[in-house]
Amino acid sequence: MKTITIDPITRLEGHGKISIFLDSKGNVENAYLQIPELRGFERFTQGRRAEDMPQITSRICGVCPVAHHFAATKALDKAFNVEPPSAAKKLRELMYCGYFIYDHILHFYFLGGPDFIIGPDAPADKRNILGVIEKAGLEIGKEVIKHRAYGQKMTAILGGKATHPVCGLPGGVSKGLTEEERYEIEEMDESCIEFAKFTLKLFDDIVLQNKDYVDIILSDPYTLNTYNMGLVDENNKVNFYDGKIRVTNQKGKEFLKFNGNEYFEHISEHVEEWSYTKFPYLKSVGWKGFKDGEKSGIYRVGPLGRLNASDGMATPLADEQYKRMYETLGGKPINSTLAFHWARLIELLFATERVMELIKDPEITSNDIRNPVGEPGEGIGVVEAARGTLIHHYKLDKDGLIDKANLIVATTNNAGAINMSIRDAAKGLIKNGEVNDGLLNMVEMAFRAYDPCFACATHTLPGQMPLEVNIYDVNRKPYKKLTR
Amino acid sequence: MKTLVLGIGNPIMSDDGVGFHVAQALAGKIKDENIDVEDISTSGLNLLEIIIEYDKVVIIDAVMRGEKVGKIYKLYPEDFSETVHLTGSMHEVNLPTVIKIGNELMPEKMPKEIVIYAIEVKTVDVFSEEMTKEVEKTVPLVVDRVLDEIK
Repeated sequence: MKTITIDPITRLEGHGKISIFLDSKGNVENAYLQIPELRGFERFTQGRRAEDMPQITSRICGVCPVAHHFAATKALDKAFNVEPPSAAKKLRELMYCGYFIYDHILHFYFLGGPDFIIGPDAPADKRNILGVIEKAGLEIGKEVIKHRAYGQKMTAILGGKATHPVCGLPGGVSKGLTEEERYEIEEMDESCIEFAKFTLKLFDDIVLQNKDYVDIILSDPYTLNTYNMGLVDENNKVNFYDGKIRVTNQKGKEFLKFNGNEYFEHISEHVEEWSYTKFPYLKSVGWKGFKDGEKSGIYRVGPLGRLNASDGMATPLADEQYKRMYETLGGKPINSTLAFHWARLIELLFATERVMELIKDPEITSNDIRNPVGEPGEGIGVVEAARGTLIHHYKLDKDGLIDKANLIVATTNNAGAINMSIRDAAKGLIKNGEVNDGLLNMVEMAFRAYDPCFACATHTLPGQMPLEVNIYDVNRKPYKKLTR
Repeated sequence: MKTLVLGIGNPIMSDDGVGFHVAQALAGKIKDENIDVEDISTSGLNLLEIIIEYDKVVIIDAVMRGEKVGKIYKLYPEDFSETVHLTGSMHEVNLPTVIKIGNELMPEKMPKEIVIYAIEVKTVDVFSEEMTKEVEKTVPLVVDRVLDEIK
């Protein structure tokens, strides 16, 4: 008999790779998603001028530059001990809502939504925006592109550049808003509000009116009873740009509420030998492995995490939709992973309504947009990126240069939950070593709901990130590989 | 005829920035008012908004095909057509899909010609403003190829 020597797998590497480990009976024991970790950030930033951080960090990620830009800017406010003028905060939030508009539209129509609009069983090459256009019509395709561009235009007007903003400074912003620009944003936003309403209606017609889809949403493999986390305002309503971090428990009740600068008192990071990604958990509850329930400190962030962690939306139309979602899916909290899609659309509507509130605020065209900075020190900035809570933490030296920088990004906050969702989806599809053909689709749906961000480099050329699922047997020997 | 020379890449992620660096080098050499030179550190749909209204677009980007580092490829969008189905699993939308979307939604605005110069790179996951030596050496070569291309 041939002896097979198996090297212990210490760290699995690769971009967006999924590894599934089977037990002795050929059933799923565990499943892991490897998210690439970029190296050398701390060394790269050490000794740089602190005020360059909003520009540097906005280049980390081609997907959420605005989120990094403002997490960095807010960390600098604290580090330089300065409170921005009220108008500057409003301008930042306005721009931030523009980012949510284009990012959430992108996810629904291009990434997550096609699973529903085209159908979870449809071939992969149809489940994309081109399939959506084929099914919903060319006109809808044009509307999608138009409103995504409006969101981008709003951020470009305020941020100086659409993709990599240059406006955030410690103590404020570099550029105010003219009356013409104010009017331009208002016009675009009127259209965006209607488009957000239309999109919720589309979701209603296609998903909620289809019992099969609702059954999938409520099914066990797509359910996790974790804690939920998100920023809330003084009324415990969802806020993307500012507020306190609130955590609710499995019963939907407040479990923790704290300021961003206290995060390290409440959040710890668990390390697994197979992954560069750390797994954050609630310190007071503790790390109990990849488990849900009140005894496990794993929490979820992102659209559903935020809505579960709040008491409602701060604008009227979005709040109506918020109530409707909880009535439809059985009260708070909603633990159905696929409800992230619905929550995301409610947030889209909120973002458009919030833009309208801010743009009509007389203070928005004020020139009082920056306060002088104080002495350099330490600062923590927290925002809600489209995909969840994002934390920047800097220590500055006496000359205002970066001594230490640490980031906890949204996808990392969700890392524990994403792994569990993938495992649970895989469990239903691998039995006694038999791998069901639908595996890739169902696993994809599980992680896509979170809108995880794998790609921090910016390549457009293909051949880099195919979805790859590696299945290992009980001896951790490669058993099957599925790629697309 | 309006031409766009577009370098794609992230200048703080080592070799990923090669497209950015080529565009920077070209910006000083091209004086023709019908040719714009731009660089972006993002991809996906943003590309569509940038390339529309041009007749010809020359893209410079990094690629990892597992061949010799520093190799320069001249490619066309159809070279990637077999990978369109990958888009669903990536965060953003890849180039061929972007072009398809454009052709469906606004064919009249789409460039008639798109050429891609891709450079085989080594390191894209380490924060650094420096490229690896093999990749850095290709920058003047790619600059010359692009200048020829738009002549």
